Amino acid sequence: MDTTSSMLPLIVAAPFLGALLPGLMIRAGRDTCTWFTLLPTALALLMLVLHAPAVIAGEVFHYRLAWLPSLGMNVNLMLDGLGLMFAGLILGIGLLIILYARFYLYRSDPMGQFFTYLLLFQGAMVGIVLSDNILLLLIFWELTSLSSFLLIGYWNHLPEGRQGARMALAVTGLGGLALIGGMLILGNIAGSYDISVILQNSEAIQGSEWYLPALILILIGCFTKSAQFPFHFWLPHAMAAPTPVSAYLHSATMVKAGLFLMARLWPVLSGTPEWFYIVATTGLITMVIGAGIALFKDDLKALLAFSTVSHLGLITMLLGFGTEAAALAATVHILAHASFKAALFMTAGIIDHETGTRDIPRLGGLRQLMPTTFAIGALTALSMAGIPPLNGFVSKEMMLEEATHTVWAGTPWLLPALAGLGALFSVAYSFRFLVHVFFGPVREDYPKPPHDPPFGMWAGPGLLALVVVVTGLFPALVTPFVDAVAAAITGGHPHAHLSLWHGFTPALYISVAAILGGALLLALHRPLATGWRRAGPPYAKAIFDAVVGAATRGARGVTDGLHDGAMTRYAAILTLATLGAGAIAWSNGEAGPPTRALLPVSLLPAIAVALLVVSTATLVVLHRRRLVALVLLGVVGLVVAIGFIYFSAPDLAMTQLSVEVVTIILLLLALNFLPQEDPPEDSMSRKIRDGVIAGLGGLGVAVVAFAMLTRDFALPAISEYHIANAYKGAGGSNIVNVILVDFRGFDTFGEIIVLGIAALVIFALTEQVLRGPGADWLANWKGARREAGDRHPLLMVIATRVMMPMALMVGVYVFLRGHNEPGGGFIAGLVVAIALLMQYMASGFAWAEERRRLPYHTVIGLGVLISILTGLGAWFNGMPFLTSAFGYVEIPPLEEFELATAMLFDLGVFLTVLGAVMLALASLSSVARRTGEKVNVHAMDVNPLRGRPGGEED
Amino acid sequence: MSHWIILPVVLPALMASVLVLALRHHLDLQRIFSIAGTVALAGLGVVLMAMAHDGTVSVYELGDWSAPFGIVLVLDRLSAMMLMLTAAIALVVVLYAVGSGWDARGQHFHALFQFQLMGISGAFLTGDLFNLFVFFEVLLIASYGLMIHGGGGRRLRAGVQYVIYNLLGSTLFLFALAILYAVTGTLNMADMAGRVGGITGGDTALLLVGAVLLLMVFAIKSALLPLHFWLPETYASAPAPVAALFAVMTKVGAYAVLRVDTLIFHSANDAMAALLSGLLLAAALATLAVGMIGILGATGLGRLAAFAVIGSMGTLFSAMAIFTQETAAATLYYMLHSTLAGALLFLVVDMVRERRAGGDAYRPAPAMAQGGLVTALYFGAAIAVAGMPPLSGFVGKLLILDAVRDAPLAWLIWTAILGGTLIAILGLAQGGSRIFWKLEAPADGAPPSGPAPAIALPAASAFVLLGAIVALTLFAGPVTSYLDNTAAQLYAPQTYISAVLGSDIEG
Amino acid sequence: MEALVALGIGTLTAAGIYLVLRRRTFPAILGIALLSYAVNVFLFASGRLMLNAPPVLIDKTGAGVYTDPLPQALVLTAIVISFGMTAVVVLLALGAYLSTRSDRMDMDNGPDAEEEAGQ
Repeated sequence: MDTTSSMLPLIVAAPFLGALLPGLMIRAGRDTCTWFTLLPTALALLMLVLHAPAVIAGEVFHYRLAWLPSLGMNVNLMLDGLGLMFAGLILGIGLLIILYARFYLYRSDPMGQFFTYLLLFQGAMVGIVLSDNILLLLIFWELTSLSSFLLIGYWNHLPEGRQGARMALAVTGLGGLALIGGMLILGNIAGSYDISVILQNSEAIQGSEWYLPALILILIGCFTKSAQFPFHFWLPHAMAAPTPVSAYLHSATMVKAGLFLMARLWPVLSGTPEWFYIVATTGLITMVIGAGIALFKDDLKALLAFSTVSHLGLITMLLGFGTEAAALAATVHILAHASFKAALFMTAGIIDHETGTRDIPRLGGLRQLMPTTFAIGALTALSMAGIPPLNGFVSKEMMLEEATHTVWAGTPWLLPALAGLGALFSVAYSFRFLVHVFFGPVREDYPKPPHDPPFGMWAGPGLLALVVVVTGLFPALVTPFVDAVAAAITGGHPHAHLSLWHGFTPALYISVAAILGGALLLALHRPLATGWRRAGPPYAKAIFDAVVGAATRGARGVTDGLHDGAMTRYAAILTLATLGAGAIAWSNGEAGPPTRALLPVSLLPAIAVALLVVSTATLVVLHRRRLVALVLLGVVGLVVAIGFIYFSAPDLAMTQLSVEVVTIILLLLALNFLPQEDPPEDSMSRKIRDGVIAGLGGLGVAVVAFAMLTRDFALPAISEYHIANAYKGAGGSNIVNVILVDFRGFDTFGEIIVLGIAALVIFALTEQVLRGPGADWLANWKGARREAGDRHPLLMVIATRVMMPMALMVGVYVFLRGHNEPGGGFIAGLVVAIALLMQYMASGFAWAEERRRLPYHTVIGLGVLISILTGLGAWFNGMPFLTSAFGYVEIPPLEEFELATAMLFDLGVFLTVLGAVMLALASLSSVARRTGEKVNVHAMDVNPLRGRPGGEED
Repeated sequence: MSHWIILPVVLPALMASVLVLALRHHLDLQRIFSIAGTVALAGLGVVLMAMAHDGTVSVYELGDWSAPFGIVLVLDRLSAMMLMLTAAIALVVVLYAVGSGWDARGQHFHALFQFQLMGISGAFLTGDLFNLFVFFEVLLIASYGLMIHGGGGRRLRAGVQYVIYNLLGSTLFLFALAILYAVTGTLNMADMAGRVGGITGGDTALLLVGAVLLLMVFAIKSALLPLHFWLPETYASAPAPVAALFAVMTKVGAYAVLRVDTLIFHSANDAMAALLSGLLLAAALATLAVGMIGILGATGLGRLAAFAVIGSMGTLFSAMAIFTQETAAATLYYMLHSTLAGALLFLVVDMVRERRAGGDAYRPAPAMAQGGLVTALYFGAAIAVAGMPPLSGFVGKLLILDAVRDAPLAWLIWTAILGGTLIAILGLAQGGSRIFWKLEAPADGAPPSGPAPAIALPAASAFVLLGAIVALTLFAGPVTSYLDNTAAQLYAPQTYISAVLGSDIEG
Repeated sequence: MEALVALGIGTLTAAGIYLVLRRRTFPAILGIALLSYAVNVFLFASGRLMLNAPPVLIDKTGAGVYTDPLPQALVLTAIVISFGMTAVVVLLALGAYLSTRSDRMDMDNGPDAEEEAGQ
């Protein structure tokens, strides 16, 4: 019986939307804020209750909304008995908790924030129990972890809060990730991520080889969430949260999410031996250990926390049995535990709130001082102990009943015995809660004078206590509901026979024994406790902190060790990685024999190469003496240029040379302010290491180069087209230049942009440095080499003056012929730049700066702009960017040359290059001027006209 | 052919040169122009996405020279999407930079910013390998300028490392290009795609070396191990808004790998495809590990964010390296997500640095001004970065896990991604709790909380990013269907090739 | 001859790498310069070697023997770009030196905030 209900999404959405309200309403006061927190919860509960009768009658409601169909993640919701029970608990207890929190929170606590978090959690929790899509469920699952993180860390000024929050997040986060893996596997086996579909495929799933991995991963998720051994330790530390949170998340609802999921997937996962032995055993161990530890906790909340662990273990065990009856028992105990444990936590909170302590040894005798609290505490504690006629007794009887006829690994007595032991412990700590807190003499030394809280604070627990009694006395009231839930879990039609009296069954004997034994244990508590302390059992938090601490330190070690800022090592690794990958690639392919006739070795080039090798080697050897190294670099560059000429690349040669000059000058000027030598700091081993790496690199490149040079193009190169069309298509006979400004003009466009940016970067950088600490240092900087007598020698000054116009002419000429003969805007720009540089060298920065006409920024901007506009110009003849048009002109005495828009573009290049180079130099000059270099506005140090030193003015 | 395609390159260049030429001394005008230009770029992104939406591949032949002889720009779904993403991030970043006054802390911020956008756009659009090199250089040199914007000794020294490392990368790029040209005789990607199939026998060694070196260049950009060393110090030292923009730059590398491999090498021959995929997967898993470990091992939020970027690149590549259509789609979704998330995290880092007495280092400090807002933003960013629900990171990871299901090493990838997520959660929780929760009383005399700079515009831009992440989650359905088509287009390269080469297909 | 050129390229590369691995910025810059020479020649060589065949048309139709012009154009672009890059890195190194008094390549980024894990 499936029916669609569009109300389901509203039930989930209500708390999320409501989460916005408290944050806003807190301005209107704490009561308003509370009301607006109760409102969405109540609405959601109302909508849920409207579905209840039909659901109990066995109907299942659905809602489907496509979200990410390609992945199979959709907003598919489902409401059946199981979902109804949990949603009811979440929203119902939620109401009581909110009311309670209103009175519990201190004035100093930001209440709006608290209620926002609480509603976020509530929504996520409802989402989990109503999801019909496991991916959707995963999202809500992780959301509960996150909101629980926020709530535990609510008092984040306390270290316990911060640590508890992070511990909970770590453990449940781990589980969540395992769950993701498991769920994805499950979905892949079933072929769908919809729970309702998955539940149909139990044979396929249990038959699959992936069943066990999926099971284990999913169970890790459930066990972490429901604090099962060995993941139980986070729960007690979550008690750093305000008590309403402990009562709500960490006893009634969130920690039951794991149980819910086990119940939800019960039909497809349970029934196998793997399931029985993993789940039942874990549950059993958890139940006994949790109960045992709880007995020795002095902090009320810690006691309750471990008892929660124990009871969760109990339910897990029941689910592990895999029988319908056990499922029924589990259902009943979930209800019972939710009711009495939430009430107990709130009672603990009241005691803490009113007496100022929750340390049991400092309490006692509260019976007279806080009668109401006592009544509530007594009823619920007795229910926790499983004393008739309370609901705890009913469920415990059912549990023992199941235990007595479940055989564990062939030993029939094991389960009942241990279950009985667990029951015995729980009786003991329940009695202890009751006796050591409420009975005994009234004390004088309570931190605060105790008294019963206001009604609003005990209303919640009071109501729950009522439930505990009623459902204990008349269990039949809930039978149909329990049946519906159990049916939803098992997929069968189980029938519960809830009653206080089942006759003289083994279960009864065990409970009696447990009650007596528990009482005895309480009597012996003092000596036992001292013994426990002496034994010093392992403290989970210490272990956890050790692990996480080690992980963090390890991570930090690895991270800082790898990334210690040692650029030289980074570069070495880069080189080696390249060589390695290159070698692998090379060995995976085939290197064939030469396919082209090699050029004969003639003497001159041989000498040139020899010169290259020698000068390079010398450069390496002498690199610590920087000036020498620089000169040698120049030599190397020169040889390379010659090589270009020899191998028919005149343009390259010209460019190489001019760039060479400018680069060297720049380096020289910079070196002026840098140390003149590298300190001798490299060990021999270091040098050898680097030498080997470098040698390998050189070898690799040489091998590849040779292989490349000796084999012809496998396929015709596209450049044949360029040769054929340089003149026809672009009207230039210097193919290289045509390619640069036409075929691949876009590259050149990018290239000048790079130059322009370089100049801007340099300018901005210098401005920065000169505003920084560097400036002061420069101001009283003693020059590196002042011994070079007069800085601006007369001859050089005159020479450069004479050269200037010539250089400019050459520049223009080179520029104009570029399209047909070697040359072009770039080289022209450099030539002119060099000519200007000469002025700088000759007469000093200041002098030349003073005579600068144009701001270089403008020149650069203009250059870039011109080239862009030229490119865009093509649009007006409907052509794409950078399409050139050309015609021929004859300007005597110059040779006939072509006037192409490409040349306009080249003009842009020219300007940008010029501007960039000069701006770079201007920046350097501004550095130089900070060094207090005497600004001489005269061209020469010795002014021939006035015959007295001019350099010393101003 | 429509001129729209060239505009993402020309417009920023135009804008930048105007900024340099005319507005050098007017910060306000610079801001207006820069923002306007970025808005226009976003508009262009929309137009181009519309153009590419129906699956057509549009080609723009620069200088009216037909491919492969001239340079062409090619617009397909992938490049359109990347442009849109870039423009979106850029818009947020420029608003943040203006709002936080970062752009006033040095010269030429906006000009460099526009040039940076030009470079990135060109890299996404060009169909020519050497032209790709040129645009890489454009975006790199602009990034050098932005990275050292604001100056300061440590930043400058980090800048030197960054520049030198990338100069090595550029050198490698040229080696690779030379080899590839020497073997195939072409530079046009589509043309090369047509030709590599025909390369057999004695030339395969060279071809493979060329291909591998090329991918290594892109791996440097994508910060894949062991070529990631430039990233942590650079991103941690760069002005955080700039680092936020850099979140796109690592994706340029990822884009290039995806483009080049699917177009040229993947279909060429199986041996090559297997080699590249194997190398990439190994690198990816190592990157994932180191990145996530770095999140846990970080000692400051800036460094944490830097390693988060590395980790996300590892996650991204561990899916991409499988090179199937499904993984490509998942990769693209995660690429969108991780770009937004990384940018957001860096903006938060900057907010912390501007307000917190102790800067972004993990040492206790007094509560910072506007702390609640910043904390909330950090929480959102952390959830996104860690890939926790309910934000797109979780969806992205689910998509990846689902897509690599049938890969031979699926279990390894799953373990790496899930384990990495756990480590990341620990690290992010630790960082957050130390920066925002572990407070100390202000020193006597000191003001109760640190400086409180203007927060309206910065916070707004951060929330825009967060909103984008939420939208990416809510509309995961439509987004993934778009990406599925994009991936399909990538794995049917013939349309691209014939669109570029037209009738005259060579080799 | 090809062997000689390969040898030359190899030498330049080796020297470049060695200098890049030095601890100071200046030699590293020289190394980068050498590497750019190496790669420029390498790129140029991708058009193979030819003597006396400069790519300047003698015959307008393009008939005749010319060396491959395309790599030359590419190298030109590469040279220009690497020039720009060199200029930037030189000034950057200078700036770093002026503001920190150090021209070391390596920096030390030790953890600046030690704290007991779990706080």
